[in-house]
Amino acid sequence: MRSTAFRSPVLLKVVAIVVTAAFAFPAGYLVWRNFTFHSDPLGVLFSQRTQGPLLRTLWLAVLVSTSTAVFGTALAWLTTRCDVPLKRMWQALLPLPLVFPTFIGAAALIRTLNPGGLLSDWLDNLGLVWDVEVRGLFGAWLALTLFTYPYVYLPVAARLRRLPGSAEETARLLGDSPLNIIRRVVLPQTATAISAGTLLVFLYAISDFGAVQLMRYDTLSRAIYTTRLNNQTVSMALSVILLVLAAAVVLVERGVTRRFEHAAPVRSRRPVIYRLGRAKPIAVAFLVGAVALALLGPMASLADWTIDGIRLEASGGRDLLVGWDDVWSPTWHTAYGSVLAAVVSVAVVLPAAYLVVRYRSRIGTVANAVIVSAFALPGILIGLALLFWTLKTDIGSHLRNTLVLLVFAYIVRFGGQTMRTSQVAVAAVSSRLTDAARTMGASWLRRFRSLELPLMAPGLLAGGGLVMLSVMKELPITLLIAPFDFPTLTTKAFNSIEEAFVAEAGIWSGLLVLLSGVMTWFFIVRRAEHFD
Amino acid sequence: MALVPPVSLLSVQNVSKSFEGTTVIEDCSLDVGWGEMVSLLGPSGCGKTTLLRIIAGLERADRGTIHISGTQVAGNGTWVRPEDRHVGMVFQDWALFPHLDVSRNVGYGVPRGKRAEEVAKTLELVNLPGMQNRMPETLSGGQQQRVALARALAPRPTALLLDEPFSNLDSALRRDVRTEVRQLLRTTGMTAVFVTHDREEALVLGDRVAVMDAGRIVQIGSPAEIYQKPANPWVAAFIGAVSMYPADANGHTAHSDFGSIPLLDSHQGPVEVAVRPEDVELRPDTGGNPTHTVEDFEFQGADSMVTVASPAGIRLLARVSGTQSFTPGDRVSPVYSGSPAAAFARPVAN
Repeated sequence: MRSTAFRSPVLLKVVAIVVTAAFAFPAGYLVWRNFTFHSDPLGVLFSQRTQGPLLRTLWLAVLVSTSTAVFGTALAWLTTRCDVPLKRMWQALLPLPLVFPTFIGAAALIRTLNPGGLLSDWLDNLGLVWDVEVRGLFGAWLALTLFTYPYVYLPVAARLRRLPGSAEETARLLGDSPLNIIRRVVLPQTATAISAGTLLVFLYAISDFGAVQLMRYDTLSRAIYTTRLNNQTVSMALSVILLVLAAAVVLVERGVTRRFEHAAPVRSRRPVIYRLGRAKPIAVAFLVGAVALALLGPMASLADWTIDGIRLEASGGRDLLVGWDDVWSPTWHTAYGSVLAAVVSVAVVLPAAYLVVRYRSRIGTVANAVIVSAFALPGILIGLALLFWTLKTDIGSHLRNTLVLLVFAYIVRFGGQTMRTSQVAVAAVSSRLTDAARTMGASWLRRFRSLELPLMAPGLLAGGGLVMLSVMKELPITLLIAPFDFPTLTTKAFNSIEEAFVAEAGIWSGLLVLLSGVMTWFFIVRRAEHFD
Repeated sequence: MALVPPVSLLSVQNVSKSFEGTTVIEDCSLDVGWGEMVSLLGPSGCGKTTLLRIIAGLERADRGTIHISGTQVAGNGTWVRPEDRHVGMVFQDWALFPHLDVSRNVGYGVPRGKRAEEVAKTLELVNLPGMQNRMPETLSGGQQQRVALARALAPRPTALLLDEPFSNLDSALRRDVRTEVRQLLRTTGMTAVFVTHDREEALVLGDRVAVMDAGRIVQIGSPAEIYQKPANPWVAAFIGAVSMYPADANGHTAHSDFGSIPLLDSHQGPVEVAVRPEDVELRPDTGGNPTHTVEDFEFQGADSMVTVASPAGIRLLARVSGTQSFTPGDRVSPVYSGSPAAAFARPVAN
């Protein structure tokens, strides 16, 4: 009940301060470097060179978040509240597009939908001509929408499933029509989930590198990447602009979640199910279309590339650049790097979670804010900051192209994801239990080992799983600072795609999707069900 | 410096504690003898649980000292950690470790070598033999309660502290478990402090009862003393149904509008007498001169509670046999038939 009686241990505070400083380092270095570099972000801001990428970034993010908000909410509504057939199957399939890193998804779209791809081949057979070019803004928008909508779908579906049916039934009895009930009763109660998911997508869109790179749409992150070698001043200035943009999103996010906090989570017995009637075939067609475009299409094209390549080699054509022996090391690197980042993330975030939950310490509050906000830092910025740091400073040069630096970058980028789950895990261990153990003579270490750790394990595992999944798919950081002898599945897949080695791209992407598919199922789909 | 009497196993002296500026415990002193069972009774929020946690070392007092079997464990710069105090504690929600089975819960505080043997013995003691491998969530409330008790007893603590140990049980079960626990603690000769807000529980379980109100211990005494000689009107009302009836005292007798009431102590002038309902008899209207009117009648099974009012509107409670029946509006004559009652000087209205 009251845990403020004992002050937080000094060691915990010291660890939290060090970790917080480490999380703030890349962004801080970027800003500081700008001043010492005289890169003049304000001057650059008004130059033609910047305005283009900035406007394109904003435009893309607005389009993507609008479309995912509508798309994700509609899918969630149909699969949780309407009488569509095979509900469980849709609920299992719809989060799965998360397994595609956006660059693989984008590559698959390009290969599938563009002239000469699977779709046009198929239409050719029917005697139809297809000449829609999936590139640029349209391509980036389509790829990001198809592969990030689960960020809206998952929270909204969870919320809709938990809304008590009584409010809707009351509205019905008061004479409201179903459409009005949705507008006046359901949507307001779902607004928090929709806006939270949409903001996450917005953040994703401004920081995405993979999709815009493949679709050749020059947003800030792509411009930063292309100018990083021959025009560092511009690259730095663009980075600061992107940093400010990300910070602004975080601030808006804080405001939104605070405003909606009073929307109390309620547990319902049975949500109201709406009858679709004659609209049912349309709804089913919509679901089929979504799954086909975002999941089956990309999967089919990955398989198609691989099979094509193997067939070509077998018939004496070009030799595959991938032998069975080459497959293991990138797969191992991906698994190893992501597990390492996940484990260390959980370990370093835990002290801050303790300070926040157990001791309500001010240091904990600050650490929490910094660590969680670091999640908003686009990967390209972290990669760039650390790359320049290793190039320009003596201390940094020792870490150039090391695994330590790479894992550190991963942790800064994704470690914040474990904060919430860690806090929930810490809160789940009632202080009564540790009090009871104390009265039985158990030391601090014994209490941690025998009570807290086992009781927190599921929560910590879930948080670690999120980090692992994110790291597996991570592209820009890995491209910029991974050691040369540490190729991962993402870098292998990206390079194969960029160099148009289609069969190899298929193999690497397929492996990556398989690996992250297992993880997604394990940590996200299964957990989402747990939330009910 | 107060000398600790050798008879007391647990001694709390002048303990105070505040949380963020709010005083929760104010100058509380309590001595518990070897093998004694003391109930700490008070309304919720009176600080009784905090006092218990201070004794266990789970909270630090701002002032005051605590001795356990003659050794100072807190106060004046001394601090013995809860781990090292050897007091057992049973928590309100029992705080069983959900991921450990019964034997590992009960054996948690026992040195490894003796664990299996002690666990079996203690489970026998609390009447749960052979339950070693069950997980807590598969047990009923009563069983969980006994596991919690066994877990606190297994390390053979110097004293046992129990924080509302029965409040999570449904009322039918509570009475049985209560009796069982009392007998168990008696046979083991365990010194125990119970925290409870249930006056019946406090009276049944305690050799002595300490009544707490707003952070202070307002009275300590045997259950009969507390009931019959409450220290103030608040204790009188808290410990059981009572009517504070105005009367005029003259020595050991008070004169009220329904006759005279014998008093415990000598008083002069206007007083309020703590009249227990069971000490009031109601004579029905038999053509005499009834003074009071029945306002309310509650049938409660073995007996009934009747509220009557004087012509001046002063209410009086009477507990009558279940065979007697009244209807609101009936005219009755109350008669005081109990032992001498407690009285408190009545502030004279200006």
